[in-house]
Amino acid sequence: MGIPCHFALFELQPSFRLDLEQLGARYRELARGVHPDRFADASEREQRLALEQSARLNEAYQTLKSPPQRARYLLAMGGRELPLEVTVHDPEFLLQQMALREELEDLQDSADLAGVATFKRRLKTAQDELNESFAACWDDAAQREQAERLMRRMQFLDKLTYEVRQLEERLDD
Amino acid sequence: MALLQIAEPGQSPQPHQRRLAVGIDLGTTNSLVAALRSGLSEPLADAQGQVILPSAVRYHADRVEVGESAKLAASADPLNTVLSVKRLMGRGLSDVKQLGEQLPYRFVGGESHMPFIETVQGPKSPVEVSADILKVLRQRAEATLGGELVGAVITVPAYFDDAQRQATKDAAKLAGLNVLRLLNEPTAAAMAYGLDQHAEGLVAIYDLGGGTFDISILRLTGGVFEVLATGGDSALGGDDFDHAIAGWIIESAGLSADLDPGAQRNLLQTACAAKEALTDSAAVEVVYGDWKAQLTREAFNALIEPMVARSLKACRRAVRDSGIELEDVHAVVMVGGSTRVPRVREAVAEAFGRQPLTEIDPDQVVAIGAAIQADTLAGNKRDGGELLLLDVIPLSLGLETMGGLMEKVIPRNTTIPVARAQDFTTYKDGQSAMAIHVLQGERELISDCRSLARFELRGIPAMVAGAAKIRVTFQVDADGLLSVSARELGSGVEASIQVKPSYGLTDGEIAKMLKDSFQHANDDKVARVLREQQVDAQRLIEAVQAALEADGERLLDADERMVIELQVQELTELMKGTDGYAIEQQTKRLSQVTDAFAARRMDLTVKAALSGRNLNEIEDI
Repeated sequence: MGIPCHFALFELQPSFRLDLEQLGARYRELARGVHPDRFADASEREQRLALEQSARLNEAYQTLKSPPQRARYLLAMGGRELPLEVTVHDPEFLLQQMALREELEDLQDSADLAGVATFKRRLKTAQDELNESFAACWDDAAQREQAERLMRRMQFLDKLTYEVRQLEERLDD
Repeated sequence: MALLQIAEPGQSPQPHQRRLAVGIDLGTTNSLVAALRSGLSEPLADAQGQVILPSAVRYHADRVEVGESAKLAASADPLNTVLSVKRLMGRGLSDVKQLGEQLPYRFVGGESHMPFIETVQGPKSPVEVSADILKVLRQRAEATLGGELVGAVITVPAYFDDAQRQATKDAAKLAGLNVLRLLNEPTAAAMAYGLDQHAEGLVAIYDLGGGTFDISILRLTGGVFEVLATGGDSALGGDDFDHAIAGWIIESAGLSADLDPGAQRNLLQTACAAKEALTDSAAVEVVYGDWKAQLTREAFNALIEPMVARSLKACRRAVRDSGIELEDVHAVVMVGGSTRVPRVREAVAEAFGRQPLTEIDPDQVVAIGAAIQADTLAGNKRDGGELLLLDVIPLSLGLETMGGLMEKVIPRNTTIPVARAQDFTTYKDGQSAMAIHVLQGERELISDCRSLARFELRGIPAMVAGAAKIRVTFQVDADGLLSVSARELGSGVEASIQVKPSYGLTDGEIAKMLKDSFQHANDDKVARVLREQQVDAQRLIEAVQAALEADGERLLDADERMVIELQVQELTELMKGTDGYAIEQQTKRLSQVTDAFAARRMDLTVKAALSGRNLNEIEDI
């Protein structure tokens, strides 16, 4: 028996557009069956199996829940390896990134909480747009290069979201 | 044994007796044991009707005194009386000094880095002291429930790191308890509330105990308790409020801060009494020796404000980590004795914009929730409608990389169980070994993180730098405990470690303690072990037979089935005798030959949840 792909585990067709609520409901349903708590009085072997199955389920859920990770997973399903870090030839986007980062540094220097909130909203809009563009092209072989580029952009913005959260934490001091 | 429970939850071939299991809240100040009785989870009282057992242990030359009387002796016999031992669990001597308070004990080093407390009974590790508290609770439970315990769920602060969890588990083992699960305290409290009120939605649990603070954000959906994020401070609690008042007394009375242990205990007791009085009064007269002064609630509030603020900051972070907004939280639950402080309630209400819930006694709610979970884990409830807890790790786990930096492998708030791998390579030509340093924490510099373990992968075949591919795999189980393995992918060379925290007991120390504690009970031991082996064997036989009946036909071929049946027969024969060792070995053998069968049945349950679709469709894409 092969290891089911993340989508198959949730009985879904591979797709970028996902109903997250449905995914969550399915996840909880599946977790009920394999969580180690159900095997607390079972043999060591069965406990180990439950641990492995649960870990696999959690991994699949985490991957599918996050748009950049889901995008990456979809592209990798074709069998092509996608190194986590590559030199990205996307000058236009890199410039935009640098501008965003500078803006974030300024917000830190001025400890501008309202500014951070606005920044977050803009970031969210940019992410939504990227997600839409990716959804439209990821399964078209002719646009593979574009899809990979969009996926990398999604990763960048995801990292930026993390940095915003760290900034919020610092400003909270 | 769960062979049977996989396929047909709730259907036991022979309904067996209810299995006794308890929930234990091993607290900084107080400890409790609770159990489910006639469908109701309630704390168990001692012979005097007391539910709460103060977490105080006093060592006499020939006996151990635990609870209220030990607590009362704390100032008279400070060196032999250990209070708030939870604050020392899983910590090294250097950490203890950083706790920033004077502890009246004489510490000595042990085989490990753990701080041992010098008593009239010799050096005692925090793990042993905790075990002495747990033993009393275990005896109370066995006396009340009228039988031996199958196991216990022990609660720990959600923010406990790996070392602190491991220390707690060791203490339970030492007390002769079978740990069904280490359960996070806020999650346990959520269960108690969720059950009572059939709650749905987003819930925040604010848990301020004697020595630790936790905040957890959970989503409750149809009996599933999903922790979205957790945060806190494992060195923040009501004890710190006492220390703040004690500091105020020292300053106001112009005392020297360098008090002898007895006087220090006295001072803290005075401070604690003042704190408690201020819950109902606007002011209290504080008397210490021949000095006295009035402490108003307002002044007290000002003293504790920095600590309250620290807790609220952790709340905001947990909310951010959950990816939700403060207003999305439907209910805030108060847990822990320190949430009785009016300023704490007020501040939490302001922060979340709603009145927190306090219906269930904040001292008892954790044990009550733990008992519910213990009952489920012991196998008493297999009707499919049971509750499910999905918890997370509180702190990121990672490895030391070049330049003394921490590389995260599993970020905080990842749902457990989890397994994750990361690949590394060699940086020198012909490098034959690689040091693996496992860390826990959020900071980038390794010196700011907690060092959990170090081990080495040796025997890497000679290659040019960067050619070897070393995969390090982290696995965190449902107790939140970590194990790490490393493997060179080309050659298959492997090394692994069950993370034994740097500040844990060494295996030698545990073995010695276990030996000591069994010394007296040696006679009963043989009989008890045999009985346990017989029970285990019987359960396995029943489970295998039920499984064969349910799925033997479709999952096994004739040969496989015959092998299993032969082993069952063999074990049945041995059960008639008294050779415990043979029974144990044969039980293992039967378990082994049914392993593949169990795995196939486990796969079936996953697929069963997938509403009867054709298996081939699910497997490959």
